[in-house]
Amino acid sequence: MKRSKAEITREYGPFPGTDGVAGVSFDGARIWVATGNKLNAVDPESGETLRSIEVAAHAGTAFDGKHLFQIAEAVIHKIDPETGAILATIPAPAKGGDSGMAWAEGSLWVGEHRGAKIHQIDPETGAILRTIASDRFVTGVTWVEGELWHGTWQEDKSDLRRIDPSTGEVLECLEMPDGKGVSGLESDGGERFFCGGGTSQTVRAIRRPRDSG
Amino acid sequence: MDSLITAASQALTAGDPLGALKRVALREDAPALALRGIAMAQLEDFPRARDLLRRAAKAFGTGEPVARARCAVAEAEIALVSRDLVRTSGALETARLTLASLGDEMNAAHAGYLLARWHLLTGKLDDAAALVAETDRTALPPASRVGLALVAAGIAMRRVRAADVRDALGQARRTANSAGIPALLAEVGHAEQAFAAPAARIITGGTNRLAGLEEVEALIASDMLLVDTCRDAIRSGRHKVRLAGRPVLFALARALAEAWPDEVTREQLLACAFGAKHADESHRARLRVEIGRLRRKLSAMANLKATKAGFVLETHTHSGVAVLAPPAEERHGTLLALLADGEAWSSSALALALGVSARTTQRALEELSSEGKVESFGRGRACRWVARTIPGFPTCLLLPALSPRG
Repeated sequence: MKRSKAEITREYGPFPGTDGVAGVSFDGARIWVATGNKLNAVDPESGETLRSIEVAAHAGTAFDGKHLFQIAEAVIHKIDPETGAILATIPAPAKGGDSGMAWAEGSLWVGEHRGAKIHQIDPETGAILRTIASDRFVTGVTWVEGELWHGTWQEDKSDLRRIDPSTGEVLECLEMPDGKGVSGLESDGGERFFCGGGTSQTVRAIRRPRDSG
Repeated sequence: MDSLITAASQALTAGDPLGALKRVALREDAPALALRGIAMAQLEDFPRARDLLRRAAKAFGTGEPVARARCAVAEAEIALVSRDLVRTSGALETARLTLASLGDEMNAAHAGYLLARWHLLTGKLDDAAALVAETDRTALPPASRVGLALVAAGIAMRRVRAADVRDALGQARRTANSAGIPALLAEVGHAEQAFAAPAARIITGGTNRLAGLEEVEALIASDMLLVDTCRDAIRSGRHKVRLAGRPVLFALARALAEAWPDEVTREQLLACAFGAKHADESHRARLRVEIGRLRRKLSAMANLKATKAGFVLETHTHSGVAVLAPPAEERHGTLLALLADGEAWSSSALALALGVSARTTQRALEELSSEGKVESFGRGRACRWVARTIPGFPTCLLLPALSPRG
């Protein structure tokens, strides 16, 4: 396993009036930030909040190219990002113990926080297709260029780790500085990860090491 | 945090403990137990809250020491608000040190504030003052910063330092105003009233009047021979004699000080010190012994001169004599003073705070209860006492932040 320090390249927020950042996604142009009772669309260049959708947003957020998926209490809502309308609802795999979420290859990948697992589920029914085990609390999940990354945050220590999707083996680990946790993770498809910063109410951009793989 | 924990903590922050419970009521994992405990505390079901927090701490275990310590701090705060001071404060001190060493400065400071309050309530002023000095105010959220300032004010009141009280109350008032939490504003208001109320009665040269803390402080600082019945001590300038546990000597000193510059007859002294109605020879012999003891105790400050009919106090300086007494002298005045804070106390916590036995406290409480001055609720170990004049039992739970910061 390769181990290195996470390099924070930018900090967005703090987004005031919230308890913290619960989930992060990226739709190709905007960062979507789940802050408990709202989804905020943030411009990655200016850092401005462009608009907000009033919707329960308690954990992970994902984007399938057209719709947003958002964990709220013990379910996952499929949301139209333009109107904010909830189009469909499926059960969340950990029944409310869910944390991060990503979309890839026609499936949703949902982190189970204290269960330290990642579930691959059918986005239409919520049925669990398979489960990958980790050894740390999962706080965010993302796929980028065939790599599965997840965030961990346990006992005030936090890191980003790339794991083998078939075995769960940790291949690479980026350690967050002390006191900076990851609550939600999304890649921009290129060099950047966006990480939710928990109760600091921020989103941090982390450089993705390009020589990995 | 996971989805339901986030939703539940959001409900708690919004002041909706029932909404929080609804979301995690059936969960038995550590963060859910902790949240259920905090929600129960907000609903003032303290025994269940403490049980849940204890289970949460156990479930977090040694693998999550920070989360476990936060639960211990919350449990201690509930014990403090419900005036259950019987257990030692050791667990709180351990949690404080754990949080400080693992970098949770905010909750470490909150634990420091709670521990200072604990010591203040149980009369350990030096320990309380050391913790106030040591606790990092800037790391505290505004609510517990108000609490810490009130502890500082309480210490200064007990130590009779009016300027320090004024400083601490000013700080508490400013912080409470900007935090705008009604329960805290009320608590600051109570402290301000307590400071404005008379701190003692001064009996001197045949007069008897109420005095504020400032005047009491000036009196203590003067060269006057002062019989201080609030602190069981006699002092004059830099000289001080403690007579705690010597009630006869103290009663004699007080009688002589109240009469000064006149004499007190032997009959009067016998009556006030031994409750003797008819003085026989054995009483007179005993009075001679006790006067001899008191004379030795006071030798640096005053002389006890025998007169034809009795004794008279003669000071070495010419600055006069006064008696300092509680504002209202009734039976069990100190016990009532403790209950006057409006909180519900267990009899064992009162005994601890008063430094007397549980039986003595129980007898006093039953006496006051039959006079309608106090009342109790709960049974057995859960029995609590309150002053009758106080409506309800105000609580001001601030509770540590349980979620990780970052």
